[in-house]
Amino acid sequence: MAYHLAMSILSSSAQRLSRAGRAPIRWLTGWGHIIFFGATVLVLAMTPSSYARPTREALMRHIYVDTAPILPWFTTLCALLTLVITRIVVVTAYSYGLSQYALEMVIRVLVLELIPLTAAMFVALRCTIPNGAALAEMRRLGHFDTLRSRGQDPVVTQVLPRALAGIFATLTLAALSCVVALVLAYLAVYGATAAGLGPYTHVFGHVFNPAVSLIFVIKTLCFSLAVSVIPMASGLYDLEGDGSRESAALQGLVRMFAVLLLLEAASLAGNYS
Amino acid sequence: MQEQAPDTPVQNSEPAPLRPVRHLELKAALLLLFTGLLIAAAVLYLLYARGVFEATQKLVLTTDDSEGVVVGMDMTFSGFPIGRVRRVELGEAGNVRILIDVTSKDAHWLRTSSVFTLVRGLVGGTAIRAYSGVLTDPSLPDGAERGALRGDATAELPRVLSSAKEVLENLSAMTAQDAALRNSLEQLKLVTARLAGPRGGLAAIFGNDADAQKLVAALDRTNALLARVDTLAAKADTQVFGPEGVMKEARATVVQLNGLLAETRQSLKKLDAVLVEAQGIGADVRGATGDLGALRSDVEANLRKIEGLINELNRKWPFARDTEVKLP
Repeated sequence: MAYHLAMSILSSSAQRLSRAGRAPIRWLTGWGHIIFFGATVLVLAMTPSSYARPTREALMRHIYVDTAPILPWFTTLCALLTLVITRIVVVTAYSYGLSQYALEMVIRVLVLELIPLTAAMFVALRCTIPNGAALAEMRRLGHFDTLRSRGQDPVVTQVLPRALAGIFATLTLAALSCVVALVLAYLAVYGATAAGLGPYTHVFGHVFNPAVSLIFVIKTLCFSLAVSVIPMASGLYDLEGDGSRESAALQGLVRMFAVLLLLEAASLAGNYS
Repeated sequence: MQEQAPDTPVQNSEPAPLRPVRHLELKAALLLLFTGLLIAAAVLYLLYARGVFEATQKLVLTTDDSEGVVVGMDMTFSGFPIGRVRRVELGEAGNVRILIDVTSKDAHWLRTSSVFTLVRGLVGGTAIRAYSGVLTDPSLPDGAERGALRGDATAELPRVLSSAKEVLENLSAMTAQDAALRNSLEQLKLVTARLAGPRGGLAAIFGNDADAQKLVAALDRTNALLARVDTLAAKADTQVFGPEGVMKEARATVVQLNGLLAETRQSLKKLDAVLVEAQGIGADVRGATGDLGALRSDVEANLRKIEGLINELNRKWPFARDTEVKLP
């Protein structure tokens, strides 16, 4: 009896150790799957033959369904955020006699840093993580096998449209909210007059020098890729966990936040170092 | 297994409309177009803001230090940005060349006599400013090279800090344990303590109570003396101005003196008359003195004649050796 107990303890300890030893490997394998999946999606996106009728239809549907419903809400949210932050920055700058730097700070804080990040996270929470979870569910229920049996590649017909729609939604939301933020910041600082257009344009041009513009574009593209690819890859592969919908969503969320954080840090380092 | 179309929402886990979207392709295309236009407009605005569509002319500023000068910073004229730094490079002579793109529409503010400054303030970055004193001078040509004057507010900081350090050292020396100011304050404290003491200011002035006591005693004696003087004065008043006082006698004496003076005046008038007479006598004497002169000249003439006569006699009297003439 005691022997059996000791053996079972030893066996469970060995299993635990073996699991702990495999964790870094599983972690690395997971990232490898994500990178491979990202590369696959990019290659498929640039291959004209991917856009057959089923894929095209799914893409159209996802582009509209993933973007259009959240566009007004997100724009409203950004407008509120812009008004609050602009007011705080302008009033603080005036009180310290540094009003000439207020506009530049508003543009830098809002347009360069906050809005792309907010857009990416909004799209992730609203579209791509649920899409990734749906893919995990479909895979678990065997829909992918059904599709394969019909001669369709599930990655092309199901995954690619969702990933591209996620990228598109991030870019659209970021672009629209940046424009809205710029307009509202102008109105908050100068009021309803066209007299400030010249100085405002000058400050905008001053902030968006070539290096900052390049970093901004690359950052936004990377954000869109991260929020689209990572949740989809989590749904498509059993990176960790039991392959359930919730597990895929959670994995996608954690990994995606880590990547967004790294991208933001790299962008800040590029802009201000 | 439940058969489900692959392209339909799976168990409500992904975003999907409640009912099928009409004209889905058209709406998706419009959304794509909207995003494309938005991004294109943003890019065009950025290019416009960066001055890509503006004609510019080149200006080269030379200076000895590029600290604070960065690509993209503005050159201002009267506070308005009219140019932007495009490049900063080292010249062949080791100086700094700042290449600036000046917008053509604002280039007319720059003249051949314009002055360019590179000012570094305490707050904020370095600023390049242009000043044109004479706007009637010829315009600055494209590619012109000008020197920039440097002004650094922070350069004054070491001097200010050094002065502040000196002030603090002086202050520290003044407030040291054995400093003159501290000693003076202690003395002042002693003086004020004495002022508040029983002898007050006297003790503070003399430094001890004994001397102050002497002064008080002297004052008492002076008071006694003054009382005596007062009594004396009263007595003197009685003696002088009293009914039998000196003053009355003095007044009588003055009356007598007046009479005496009148008599004296009369005597003097008589003396005047005597003097007038003496003056007449003097005039007579002066006339007599004139007559005496004439008499003297007569006597002298007679004497010369007698001398001539004797000389004649001596010539005529050959044996006579004695030529002396004896006058009677």
